[in-house]
Amino acid sequence: MTYLHLSFLSAFTLSSLGLAFHRTHLISALLCLESMMLSMYIALAMWPIQTQTTSPTLLPVLMLTFSACEAGTGLALLVASTRTHGSDHLHNFNLLQC
Amino acid sequence: TISSNHWILAWTGLEINTLAILPLISKSHHPRAIEAATKYFLVQAAASALVLFSSMTNAWHTGQWDITQLTHPTSCLILTSAIAMKLGLAPFHFWFPEVLQGSPLTTGLLLSTAMKFPPITLLYMTSQSLNPALLTTMAILSAALGGWMGLNQTQTRKILAFSSISHLGWMAIIITYSPKLALLNFYLYTLMTAAAFLTLNSMKVLKLSTLMTSWSKTPTLSAMLLLTLLSLAGLPPLTGFLPKWLIIEELTKQEMAPTATIISLLSLLSLFFYLRLAYCSTITLPPHTTNHMKRWHTN
Repeated sequence: MTYLHLSFLSAFTLSSLGLAFHRTHLISALLCLESMMLSMYIALAMWPIQTQTTSPTLLPVLMLTFSACEAGTGLALLVASTRTHGSDHLHNFNLLQC
Repeated sequence: TISSNHWILAWTGLEINTLAILPLISKSHHPRAIEAATKYFLVQAAASALVLFSSMTNAWHTGQWDITQLTHPTSCLILTSAIAMKLGLAPFHFWFPEVLQGSPLTTGLLLSTAMKFPPITLLYMTSQSLNPALLTTMAILSAALGGWMGLNQTQTRKILAFSSISHLGWMAIIITYSPKLALLNFYLYTLMTAAAFLTLNSMKVLKLSTLMTSWSKTPTLSAMLLLTLLSLAGLPPLTGFLPKWLIIEELTKQEMAPTATIISLLSLLSLFFYLRLAYCSTITLPPHTTNHMKRWHTN
């Protein structure tokens, strides 16, 4: 496994662990989601360099478009939850308990 | 997602699905709906990122972006857990009852049936290289948790969420051995769940107590609800028995008879809450739930 592969793998793993173990704010979860997308973008951008083909060069841009949409939606949900719940503290998300 | 050969297009389809259904969940701007939408978004976005990550790992190791050629074992493991998160298989099912509870009934129908179709298609396309032990474990856990956690529920949407979880367990257990049977199970489950959700929607019933007094609105529909619920439970003369029977037959052919026994016994738990729903809606006259038989006025 090359250093490049290891670096993006560890970046993704650390971000996903940050998403899994976030504690108080919703916005930190959204930030970890964005860093996962960033590590995927860098990996996808490295792919045509590694394989010396030029056809997958479109893929990072496509991925970035959709991750930007997702980030926008996440922020909209953050705003909506601040309007209804008062803050983005995750402790307050307990209206739907079993 | 369903007609794609390349992983990036599959991921794009999954993302579009997630983004499209979020406004439907949060349409009413009620705090519960917004909370449900936030939970749904976080889970599905994380799962999509994991799908992309597993396809990227596979591409680094094997040079393939084709969906049916997913051969790297770590990649298959991560993909299976990502799709389990998307579907709501145990142990990644915790978001599902709450999200279904916070969304309107028709959106809940979409969440349980249409949104499950792309992940199941991805599992179908990669089914020859998936890990059967992991899927069997998740399936048995789903059937167990779906049955047990649904027992004490009074909100109909949560009950339908747990029924969805246990049906997904049945689908997951057979997908490596006979993917067509898993698809058949999915189609029949979609039909039955759609019937249940649309019935509940037309009677506007969200709680068990509302269900008890809903027979006077549409008597024939609540009689049909009885049959639909028993079909969901998988009782023999009704359609819901067919996928269970075929799955048990296929599992015994694959020398997994104890597994088939375990999963059938666990679906007895869900039979209890289906029967309770049927009891409250069709068989007894409220507020007495034990002794009085319903008198069906036909004139």
